[in-house]
Amino acid sequence: MLEMAATEPGWSTAAEIVAAVGAGRTNALRVVEATLARIRSRDPLLNSFTALTEQRALARAKALDEARARGEPLPPLAGVPFAVKNLFDVAGLPTLAGSKINRDAPPAPRDAALIERLESAGSVLVGALNMGEYAYDFTGENVHDGPSRNPHDLNRMTGGSSGGSAAAVAGGLVPLALGSDTNGSIRVPSSLCGLFGLKPTYGRLSRARTFPFAASLDHVGPLARSTRDLALAYDAMQGHDPGDPVSAERAAQPVMPLLHRGTEGLRVAVASGYFKSQTAEAVYAVDRVAAALAANRDIQLPQPERARSAAFIITASEGGSLHLDRLRTRAKDFDPAVRDRLIAGAMIPASLVIRAQKFRRWYRTEVLKLFAEVDAILAPATPCTAPLIGQQTFQLGDVELPVRANLGLYTQPISFIGLPVVAVPVPLTPLPIAVQIITAPWREDVALRIAHWLETQGVAAAMRPSF
Amino acid sequence: MIRKPAAHKSRTARRGTTPRPLRAKKPDALDTLIAASAQALALPFDPAWQGGIRLNLRLIFTHATLVDEFPLADETEPAPVFHA
Repeated sequence: MLEMAATEPGWSTAAEIVAAVGAGRTNALRVVEATLARIRSRDPLLNSFTALTEQRALARAKALDEARARGEPLPPLAGVPFAVKNLFDVAGLPTLAGSKINRDAPPAPRDAALIERLESAGSVLVGALNMGEYAYDFTGENVHDGPSRNPHDLNRMTGGSSGGSAAAVAGGLVPLALGSDTNGSIRVPSSLCGLFGLKPTYGRLSRARTFPFAASLDHVGPLARSTRDLALAYDAMQGHDPGDPVSAERAAQPVMPLLHRGTEGLRVAVASGYFKSQTAEAVYAVDRVAAALAANRDIQLPQPERARSAAFIITASEGGSLHLDRLRTRAKDFDPAVRDRLIAGAMIPASLVIRAQKFRRWYRTEVLKLFAEVDAILAPATPCTAPLIGQQTFQLGDVELPVRANLGLYTQPISFIGLPVVAVPVPLTPLPIAVQIITAPWREDVALRIAHWLETQGVAAAMRPSF
Repeated sequence: MIRKPAAHKSRTARRGTTPRPLRAKKPDALDTLIAASAQALALPFDPAWQGGIRLNLRLIFTHATLVDEFPLADETEPAPVFHA
């Protein structure tokens, strides 16, 4: 472990780093210095970082080591480097949200809430990460900063919009990153880059001091190479935050103590109909996970295609409204593809948006009934493995679909009603793909238990790329 | 439970079919909406962007049709709930 941390910085998991620091086999400063060196040497290939927070990271690591030298107890994530999608406020940096326009914004006065919580737990922020412009993206491409690149094949997409988050973790630059997920932006890149990703229940983790996209759909969460790391980070970030108006007034429900409980007694079904993927990779991944969990039952979500459509309308409308002033004054500074979508979104009649919100209520009621019968539902995370950067369409059965709009085909109907999901990567050659483990609201513990069990069985794994 | 009017019931029969835009079927109808919205919202744009905006709006209306044709009770509360 220590040797791995010393000779292969970036590939140790957060749990391994915590153990090595705790045992005194290394210290936070050495871990952070090695991480920064690796980012400098390897990130030019991945293009995952847009800013390094080197000075504060080194200062933070030294402070942790000094506290330890004084005999103070180490916090649970002591010395773990992490990075954040650049829509999280980082004190002293403008919050880009993947845009050109926000480069003119004043530096953020304070870190995002989740950065503060992770650092309170001993983690060390090392930088901000590339993303699709204003998070309106499933590809990981960015016209201003260039595309983040998939570590499993540098010519392929990471998926988005948390593309830099996925590239940095899958490429062994950091063990942990934060992303956001409005319609699939944690789960899609987790799938294409072969990572574990947690999109928690809507309202579970604070979005305070993050740049929004579609407020009624925005979530934030972690990406990692192991379920233990997801759970460690998730536990450190839980808890009500009055700084986020939708933050649930719920006490933290730590998952780490439950992670090893296995899957016995859990009822798992496979989403049928709309979610029955027609690509061999997605079919294989779902079948493999279902077989491991003895999930022999299919379950039909009610009206998932309509749910996706309603999510599409609400996203476009809320996004268009959010950016209306910038569209009026700086339209030429947007990515043209994003700009046209946002202008169109701003023009949607309110009657259609409210109807979509009414459908959302109906759909939520009907889907929640299913959780009286099952504890978890399996569905593909993406319809395909990573497309080539710049690829415009992909084949799904007999139909050729646009990549940009359809990588979230299977994620949108789930986040639409805020259900918690863990994306688990199924290692395939040459490219991974993930399966969504979907549970009832506030039951992240069940999804993480199942994901952890699949990981211990070797069914799910974040494969190390050869890059 | 207030029952839906007949016009809504007839929509039920179309459930599951390929969505067809109910409104703004004609390209000129979308262009009219775009022009009126741009004016009403004080949202001027380069005429060269018209095609991209129309394409996206057409897709939005296609999705909206799928939602619109699904019958819902008048009492169905929209999802976001304001708490005073």
